[in-house]
Amino acid sequence: MLLKAMIKEEWRIHSTLFGSFLFASFPVILLVFSFIGSLFIPVFLLIVPGRTMALMAHYIFVMFGVSVGAFGLFGREVMNRRFGQASLLAYSSRTLPVSERSIFLDFFIKDIIFYFILWILPITAGIGLALPLIQINFNAFLALLTLTLSFLLGLSATFFLSTIYAHSSRAFLAIFILILLVLATGFNLSLFSLPSLSLFYFPTAEKLYSNLVLIIVPSSLSLFFLKVEYPQKKRQFKNSLDPLSGSIGTKYSQFIAKDFLDLQRSEGGMGKIIFSFLFPLLILWFLLYIFLKFLPNANFLVSFSLFLGIISSSIYNWLTEFDLFSTYAFLPVKVSSVMKSKLISYAIINTISVAILLVATFFSGYLVFLLPAFLTFLTVSSYTLAITVYLTGLYPNVLLYNAKNFALYVLLITPVLLVMIFVSILNPFYLVLSPLILPVSFLIIRKSFKKWNSWEGPVF
Amino acid sequence: MNVIEVKKLTKSFGELKAVNGLSLSIGEGELFGLLGPNGSGKTTTVKVLTGQLKPDSGQIKVLGTDVLKNPVSVRKVVGIMPEQENPPSFLTAEEYLHFVAKIRKIDVSDIDHWFSFLDFEDEKNVLCKDLSRGTRQKLMFAQTFLHEPKLAFIDEPLINLDPIIQRKVKDYLTDYVKNKKTIFFCTHVLEIAEEICTSIGILYKGKLIHEGPIKDLRKKRKSLEDFFLKLVREN
Repeated sequence: MLLKAMIKEEWRIHSTLFGSFLFASFPVILLVFSFIGSLFIPVFLLIVPGRTMALMAHYIFVMFGVSVGAFGLFGREVMNRRFGQASLLAYSSRTLPVSERSIFLDFFIKDIIFYFILWILPITAGIGLALPLIQINFNAFLALLTLTLSFLLGLSATFFLSTIYAHSSRAFLAIFILILLVLATGFNLSLFSLPSLSLFYFPTAEKLYSNLVLIIVPSSLSLFFLKVEYPQKKRQFKNSLDPLSGSIGTKYSQFIAKDFLDLQRSEGGMGKIIFSFLFPLLILWFLLYIFLKFLPNANFLVSFSLFLGIISSSIYNWLTEFDLFSTYAFLPVKVSSVMKSKLISYAIINTISVAILLVATFFSGYLVFLLPAFLTFLTVSSYTLAITVYLTGLYPNVLLYNAKNFALYVLLITPVLLVMIFVSILNPFYLVLSPLILPVSFLIIRKSFKKWNSWEGPVF
Repeated sequence: MNVIEVKKLTKSFGELKAVNGLSLSIGEGELFGLLGPNGSGKTTTVKVLTGQLKPDSGQIKVLGTDVLKNPVSVRKVVGIMPEQENPPSFLTAEEYLHFVAKIRKIDVSDIDHWFSFLDFEDEKNVLCKDLSRGTRQKLMFAQTFLHEPKLAFIDEPLINLDPIIQRKVKDYLTDYVKNKKTIFFCTHVLEIAEEICTSIGILYKGKLIHEGPIKDLRKKRKSLEDFFLKLVREN
């Protein structure tokens, strides 16, 4: 009953902003892109063995699950504030005779259903529809099952780890180091033992059950130990806004200071950086490591920096998660002013990505490629951000599900990335010229300000 | 001098005409009460008059400035207390007032006065999300008058306040307009409007069905409640 109402609610949040048709078209557009992309599988198979491609596909879905699975950090606060002031059922139903855990379970299942319908099903269906045309033979329904399981394995693992993090960051750190040690010692040997991938190759009931156990047990434990009731005491802080904004010293310093206080004081603050950013990057590191074995001309560090640039643009999504423009609409503030402040905050937080790039340079030993890698990262990050800002303004978490926006997002970003990948294979040093795209990014961002200043904010 | 001039203002949301051909003039020093049942278009009217929403048609001048052309300039000089918006969750009450003061480029030295005046000094370091609804309302009231605007729009400002603070706020508002300042006060609580307003407008289904000084009602020895109910029934 509550689950059904939550599904309706999620639908209405999106359809209120851009209409039911454009929201319903999102998976269709994704299916079309997946279908078109799948037509090129035979080309990839000339370079990469089929088994490696299947492995990568499954790990990409694990990475997807990892990046969205930090439910343990949500608690009540984020559930309520996911869309600013909107009072969501996950919060308001606390007045009903239903336990918080049961509300959260419904919320969790609702999110999984949406991820399945909006992402997993259309991507797999696109691949399945292309199979007869590319004359490759594998069971698309089995792939749908195993890719879904991969997503759920990543999601449940992150749910479990984030729940531990919410209770004790030290315990989390200890487990995280243990995982890293296990990965560092035996990762290559165990790559194909990913339970969902194993099921893809050897579909047996036992393997299916083991997958389900590995999903249900950590998720159930997480739900059981979920820190739903954060302390009810009133949290107090001395005025940190003034010193912080004083040290920033720009026209938008008070907004930037607020962004940092939001991240610092919200329950998911640092955890969000770890679970939505560092974990997926760690998986990306290993995926590239495997994939680039088949592309000897491609440089690991430059390729990593390219994907780092894409993933880092998600920082903008976190920054816009805490408030709607309506929080400021009654003050003498333009939408573009808030956007500018978010972009400065983005640039500051993105120094984490630069630090990651330096760490990656150290571990990969490609110091000589640091300059092209850095410029590639800078270019991709700025361009992806510019497109995101232009298409979605201050609402990337919602408006990217507008089918038209999503189609434009893919069509505007993919060609640039493909050209850069191609150039990096020719010679990674050619990418020192990639900042030539930067003026285009700046121009798009300037156009975004004009566009979003004239946009009337959403009313929930 | 009129501080608000509105001509044939219309605002729709899809099929719904939230404001329908509203024309209105409000003079300096008035405490104007915009009254109406729930959903009559009061909040939409405030949002359009302060440039937060764009009208479908009509003209609006606030303090001599065309709102459609310069919405931010208007919001610089007026104060607005919205009905629904809350202060940002992860700032403390004090930080929020400093935040607003910085946006409005005003001195922060007078901020402490608001905590004592509205009796929430003990909570100035509490995160806004942890404040009670009433305290949040006090905070939003304080941010509205922080820069002592010539014109303030306040939407249901008393609804969550206790009787002691209500009295203080009502006295503050009646004193405020004595200094040639103007207040545009939205409410559906007729007793409060009758007590403090100098003039009223009654909005029903987006249309202004009455406008005039409150003293006219007093002369006719009519209660605002009887007058309001009769008018709404007739329309």
